[in-house]
Amino acid sequence: MISAGNDIVALNVIDIQRTQSPAFYAKFITPTEFELYNPNEITLINFVWLLWSAKESAYKYLKRINSELIFAPIKIKVVSLDIVVSLKTENVNNYRGWILAEDMSLPFLSVTMPESILTVITQGDAKWNFLKIEASDYENQSKAVRSLLLNDLKIPNVSVEKHPTGYPILIKNGQELNIAVSFAHHGCYVSYSFQIPK
Amino acid sequence: MDRKEILSELKKVLAPYTESKEMLAGINEETDLIKDLKINSANLVDIIIDAEAQYNIEIDFDAAEKMYNVGNCIDVISEKINKTA
Repeated sequence: MISAGNDIVALNVIDIQRTQSPAFYAKFITPTEFELYNPNEITLINFVWLLWSAKESAYKYLKRINSELIFAPIKIKVVSLDIVVSLKTENVNNYRGWILAEDMSLPFLSVTMPESILTVITQGDAKWNFLKIEASDYENQSKAVRSLLLNDLKIPNVSVEKHPTGYPILIKNGQELNIAVSFAHHGCYVSYSFQIPK
Repeated sequence: MDRKEILSELKKVLAPYTESKEMLAGINEETDLIKDLKINSANLVDIIIDAEAQYNIEIDFDAAEKMYNVGNCIDVISEKINKTA
């Protein structure tokens, strides 16, 4: 079964002071995971939210496979995290890592930018994109992320609906397309990832 | 503190994290924090930390993972309050 998972964190709406408190990040980052933190390569704030977004992305990926899964970030383990030096752009860094959860090993890509952190589970051939929007209310986020995906997909007469368990599905001529899609939104940022089977 | 009182306090904890103020006013034990109240998952840890302060309890993550709907939140908070009493 193909799946997709992504997440985006808008750094301008997170509580910076709280993020840096061990009482906060210890709720979802284990001491073993914290050993991946290298202050020469990433700020503490970016590290904390990168791990959150990686865990959330993995959860979305796995929830599509196991609809009974409950979000328990402490049980989704980030086991490696490496900066991708060759792609370095000013104020933008790419990181690659691996997650272990539900007896699966999932690769991910995270991009830290000045205002946001985006993570995508890169199992298979995942495509992704993100967008900054004007209004951050739920309705606008939801509309914007659907529109971004449909514009990029370029498949005519496709609509986005929700599977009863909550993940997005694509419908064309009354039939569900075999494309796994994941949506994310936070503050003024929306993102998607999808995977089409080869 | 009974379940009704916990629910009343819980509304104050959840208020900063939801746009659905009407839905918040009418929450019941079945209300889902993400699906119904449209709370962003990035705020779930904030809610746990705020609940700890509001009820003077400590919520470990084994308990926290159950807090996806209002009824489960009340279960966890009630259990922790009884332990510290």
